[in-house]
Amino acid sequence: MSFVSIRLPSAGSEVIDRARPVTFSWNGKKLKAFTGDTIASAILANGDHIFGRSMKYHRPRGVLTADFWDPNLFVQVDDEPNVRAAHRLVENGMKVTSQNVWPSLKYDVKAANGLVGRFLTAGFYYKTFMKPAKLWPAYERILARFAPGGEVDLDTPHGYYDKRYAHPDVVVAGAGPAGLAAAIAAARAGASVMLVEHEHQVGGHLLWGSDDDRAAAAGMLTDARNLGVEILTNSTVTGRYEDNWLGILQRNHHIAEERLIKARAKMLIVAGGLIERPYVFAGNDIPGVMTSGAVRRLITMYGIKPGTRAVVLTANESGDAAVADLERAGVEIAEVVDGRTGAFVRSAEGSGRGTNHRLSAVTLSDGTKIDADLLVTAVGWTAPTSLLNMSGDRPVYDPAAARFFPGKTPDNVLATGGMVGDGTHDQLVAHGAATGTLAAGRAAVVQHRLQAATARAAAVDGPEPDYPEDLRTPLGRDPHPALFRSTTHGMVDYSEDVSSKDLFGAAAEGFDSVELIKRFTTATMGPSQGKLETVNTVAVLAEARGETIAEVGTTVWRPPYAPITLGALGGRVFEPVRVSSIQSYHESKGATPILAGQWIRPEHYDDPQAEVTNTRTNVGITDVTPLGKLDLKGPDVPKLLSLLYTNKWMQLPIGGVRYGIMCAEDGVVLDDGVTARLGDEHYLMTTTSSGAGGVWNWIENWLQTEHPDWQVHVTPVTTGFTSINVAGPNSRKLMGRVVAGVDLSNEAFPYMNVRTGTVAGVDDCVMWRIGFTGELSYEIQVPAGYGLHVWEALLADGKDLGIAPFGLEAQRVMRLEKGHFIVGQDTDGLSKAPTTGMTGLLKLDKDDWTGMPEVKWALEGDYPHIVAIQPTDPNCVPEEACQILRGPESNEIVGRITSSRYSPTLNRSICLGQLSPEFAEAGTELTVLLVNGERVTAKVMKHHAHFDPEGERLRG
Amino acid sequence: MANAKYSAAGLFIRGARKKTWPRVWREAEPKKAYDVVIVGGGVHGLATAYYLASNHGITNVAVVDKAYLGSGGSGRNTAIVRSNYLTPEGVAFYDRSLDLYNTMSTDLNLNVMFSERGHMTLAHTDSALRTMNWRAEVNKLQGIDSSVIGPQEVKREAPSLDVSANTRYPILGALYHPPGGTIRHDAVVWAYARAADSYGVDLIQKCEVLDITCEGGEGSESDSADGKGAGGKVTGVKTNLGDISAPIVVNCTAGWASTISDMAGVKLPITTHPLQAAVTEPVKTFLPTVVVSGSLHVYVSQTDRGELVFGASVDPVATYDMRGTLAFTEELAGHVLELMPGISKMRLLRQWAGLCDMTPDYSPVMGHTQVGGYLVDVGWGTYGFKAGPVSGEQMAEAIATESMPELIAPFTLSRFTEGTLVGEKGAAAVGH
Ligand SMILES: Cc1cc2nc3c(=O)[nH]c(=O)nc-3n(C[C@H](O)[C@H](O)[C@H](O)COP(=O)(O)OP(=O)(O)OC[C@H]3O[C@@H](n4cnc5c(N)ncnc54)[C@H](O)[C@@H]3O)c2cc1C
Repeated sequence: MSFVSIRLPSAGSEVIDRARPVTFSWNGKKLKAFTGDTIASAILANGDHIFGRSMKYHRPRGVLTADFWDPNLFVQVDDEPNVRAAHRLVENGMKVTSQNVWPSLKYDVKAANGLVGRFLTAGFYYKTFMKPAKLWPAYERILARFAPGGEVDLDTPHGYYDKRYAHPDVVVAGAGPAGLAAAIAAARAGASVMLVEHEHQVGGHLLWGSDDDRAAAAGMLTDARNLGVEILTNSTVTGRYEDNWLGILQRNHHIAEERLIKARAKMLIVAGGLIERPYVFAGNDIPGVMTSGAVRRLITMYGIKPGTRAVVLTANESGDAAVADLERAGVEIAEVVDGRTGAFVRSAEGSGRGTNHRLSAVTLSDGTKIDADLLVTAVGWTAPTSLLNMSGDRPVYDPAAARFFPGKTPDNVLATGGMVGDGTHDQLVAHGAATGTLAAGRAAVVQHRLQAATARAAAVDGPEPDYPEDLRTPLGRDPHPALFRSTTHGMVDYSEDVSSKDLFGAAAEGFDSVELIKRFTTATMGPSQGKLETVNTVAVLAEARGETIAEVGTTVWRPPYAPITLGALGGRVFEPVRVSSIQSYHESKGATPILAGQWIRPEHYDDPQAEVTNTRTNVGITDVTPLGKLDLKGPDVPKLLSLLYTNKWMQLPIGGVRYGIMCAEDGVVLDDGVTARLGDEHYLMTTTSSGAGGVWNWIENWLQTEHPDWQVHVTPVTTGFTSINVAGPNSRKLMGRVVAGVDLSNEAFPYMNVRTGTVAGVDDCVMWRIGFTGELSYEIQVPAGYGLHVWEALLADGKDLGIAPFGLEAQRVMRLEKGHFIVGQDTDGLSKAPTTGMTGLLKLDKDDWTGMPEVKWALEGDYPHIVAIQPTDPNCVPEEACQILRGPESNEIVGRITSSRYSPTLNRSICLGQLSPEFAEAGTELTVLLVNGERVTAKVMKHHAHFDPEGERLRG
Repeated sequence: MANAKYSAAGLFIRGARKKTWPRVWREAEPKKAYDVVIVGGGVHGLATAYYLASNHGITNVAVVDKAYLGSGGSGRNTAIVRSNYLTPEGVAFYDRSLDLYNTMSTDLNLNVMFSERGHMTLAHTDSALRTMNWRAEVNKLQGIDSSVIGPQEVKREAPSLDVSANTRYPILGALYHPPGGTIRHDAVVWAYARAADSYGVDLIQKCEVLDITCEGGEGSESDSADGKGAGGKVTGVKTNLGDISAPIVVNCTAGWASTISDMAGVKLPITTHPLQAAVTEPVKTFLPTVVVSGSLHVYVSQTDRGELVFGASVDPVATYDMRGTLAFTEELAGHVLELMPGISKMRLLRQWAGLCDMTPDYSPVMGHTQVGGYLVDVGWGTYGFKAGPVSGEQMAEAIATESMPELIAPFTLSRFTEGTLVGEKGAAAVGH
């Protein structure tokens, strides 16, 4: 029998606009459809009914449920894979192709798998391809060819996605009659309401119901609009997270491709209706077998005649209504099998090759065989309780109604509609309305509590309203026959090609709990995440185990409710870049940028070696703004500093600066830096650039969790100041020209001191006499807005002194010449404080400091030492990473090079490294393994500083 | 108790005769007493049981799990295996595990689908590149195939990555480790379970350990007379299915490890944090290797089924709650799109979380404790799946020989009181 689906005469119930035709292509053919058509209805209208092939057996597949969850209708649309054809609306120019076909939908070679299906039981791959082991990669490549799904186009541009925050009182998920009524009632009660509907139109099942149904839906839509309910169609509540934090995916925004709305809802109403379950029997995936919902939607909404001669298996009103719809559409009804009388369908068979494959006959429970090209099943429902599960609820099976119902939800989540029971239209509306009113009442209480708990100009109005109890009249539950599987085996999971036979086999093998069977067979793991499959899986497993469905229970439904694009989740990817106020200067000079954490910094302007030499002979300035800066105020700051740093802080005078090392609790070096005392109870701490955020967290953690009684206020001011380091023999002279009100003489402002004053006319600058470079130097912190001004003033005033800016690279060379270690480069995740060699700073006579016990241990035993190293060959600069070996012949690691550079000052290569103590003695000869495999010799130096070890230059 | 052997021929014969396969493991009732009770039916517990039986002939063993086998981290992880760690101890240990994984399918007669697809850790900053170089150098000296490659080679291995210079986090290079890859986590659990069962080990599901009984100890925090704690000796466990006596109890409970250890009066330096993961819908395969970015806190691989599997670093908050968050998926997607801008139309299908037992030095705690007969194999954090085989092998040896095998000697509990921590913070944090 060959079948051509056709468009019915136009009817008032349809959602397509026949006045606005659309042209698109399907597997290369140009086709016509109407605005409002889904891709699926558009293709059906053109007489095609096969959309793709199944994953494992490559069986041809057609419409099953004709909605978002249809497992058979995944297509590729332009560069977008896995588009749901029964949900996505067709658009002009769309290029639609089928997935999972090779080489074509019509002639699919892999369909041969279908013949050997008996041997490819679920999980067959665990049992074979083990030998020969060498061949597994080849097998693996073949298995990967069966990967289902469409193709990504790696050149797809990152489109315009967006996010929005919302704080509605009530969010209603699902706009069927109950959801609409709930939204209206909540809005009437004064709540701000967001009504979210997965489909393109509101109304739920009313859309494919009677004219009265549609009129009711339209009326409620008008009411909702008039009441100011925000209505989002083609949008899905994808997840309910802690405290009603909701993810809502809006797919029809007029600008953004997709928008993720993040809503903190005071109340969530779940009114997602019911999903119709397919029936399990032999041949249940032959094109032409559909659910009652599928044919009703196709006929009523899209004017599609889904077949010519039908058998209908009905166990409920939906099936009965389908019979009427089919008759109206001119489909011949060959037989109505009433599931309520105990009759059922035994099996179905198809005929026709390739894209003509279609249902040809149905065998009933009494053995009669009936010719038909359409088999409609209406065997029951699944409550899509995902959002409730995410709220902690576990669904409960009711054998009389043959479906799961919600259990217990938290107070701020309510359910209504078909999910919680059955009823007439009026009963559903009444339940919805009662739910809406209840939600609005509870939301008002939550609102009141929030306002009362928040500091605001005016007091909250009146006393807290009473918290409304749930006094809704529950919906009834209609009895329903338990129809899950026939006497034959058929598909349970269409997207994964898992049959009831597979499930029986898996259960017999011991994979006999829901979780294990799911993992072993992959049932419910496909794109609809069990919406169609879970309950049938549970039912088949129960049958196999001889248990009840309630005993077997169900799996946990995890977010998201419906898949979300990575684009929508990522949004307009916002990764801030940080630059200092001097950045425009760096750019204008063509400085080479370097990425340092979030910061962009000038690595060098010119030859970095020349920058070093100029700084050592004249004067240089460098932008060190990323240096972490924390402003600390309060009487207990010294206590805090004593706790954090290994050395002593109680006696630091005003104007004094001290260097400190911070350890984590395991004694490992966490950060280092200098801290100045600016006033009586006022300190300014500096941290490493990369440690700025971490140290702030660290301090707050100590203050908030361990010492809430301490009076310390911490303000991160890293970007509040622009930091400029002025270094070199001429730096004092230069400072003299720009600084007002501070005596710069060595006696008045010695090394390791701080002063506040005016620089280039800018007040409140903090000047530190410190020096990472080893030169006489001043670090100036300028209120950020004036950073560029001060920078330029220094350059202008220093012209005759030989001033030149230097970048990060020159600074690194100079610090290495001075032997200063860098936390995280010369130390690592295991370097305890003694490794730094700064044992003088480790004050074991203090009461306590973070990491003290561990550091004490370390000092008693062996620990690696940071030492200065010079290669024998002055021109050999070993890469930072080179390992140091026990000897020329050995492969045993005794240390490594952590920093290395060529020093223009010493005209030779210089390094810092970590060495085990037996090799750390000055003068020890070392074997260094270069990255290229060569071994060279090097020598351990006496001092960390390769240059000016006594520090005369910086104190001068 | 021999298993029906798995093979293509077996599939064929059973298919032709329409015969089903026998149970992977027996449904076992707990006996009154065992020589060894292992708490936790994840890869660690099951591997320990298997090696006890196969290598040491100790078969009067029960593995008990409060849910189903593999319900913990072993069934929730992203199954990345590699051995390019940072310390010589770490390298030697994980390399042995990789060896065992390599031959597991044939050794245990169940295809665990080890996919040696290569593992790439991206460097986005010069400091990251420095660390990669360091790791490569250590690895090379240990005979591990591991090297630093440049952006163009990165592109060749994974064409979906954006290696252009003008991205927010440019890819400066990567540590490339060809022997790394992924494995089918459930299959590993089942393979060990089936093999252990074939030696007569009892695998008891839905059996929750409620207490560990001890005698002679100095007493626990809550009760000084309960015989637990240092100096004591284990006598058995109390479970919802009754009491079981055993002279040896092994804690293999990962995320729940410290709560179980408290039952023996042994405090562990462990905090439990959730780790989240997610998968996308399947698409035709395009990503041949595992890609990790420490700076962007994300890693990704593509399964043979075509799904992208994502993971990140542990959640900052310590909790036993296994619910996923929206923020995780947002951050994840943002970061993944930084790396692979072309996949913005792929859809996230499912997210989940598991528990990770974190130690201060990102290394496990293994072996004997101050309570006689009470052993631990815990602290596996975010990296314990790949260590399953070697841990089981070594723990079995520790139990059988009543000593500490060399390979796991660095991981004793006493290191926290002796100051000999192992330093894998850098290599393990997001590395998995
Ligand atoms: C999202 C995620 C991704 C990960 N990715 C990787 C990765 O890529 N590579 C990698 O190597 N590692 C990874 N890991 C870590 C890895 O999963 C774990 O370290 C490993 O699985 C631990 O195995 P286990 O056998 O020790 O514990 P588990 O598998 O967690 O087993 C512990 C078992 O103990 C049981 N149990 C707990 N309490 C009791 C009780 N009272 N009585 C009885 N039984 C009890 C639990 O039910 C559970 O089954 C990841 C972890 C997560 C969560």
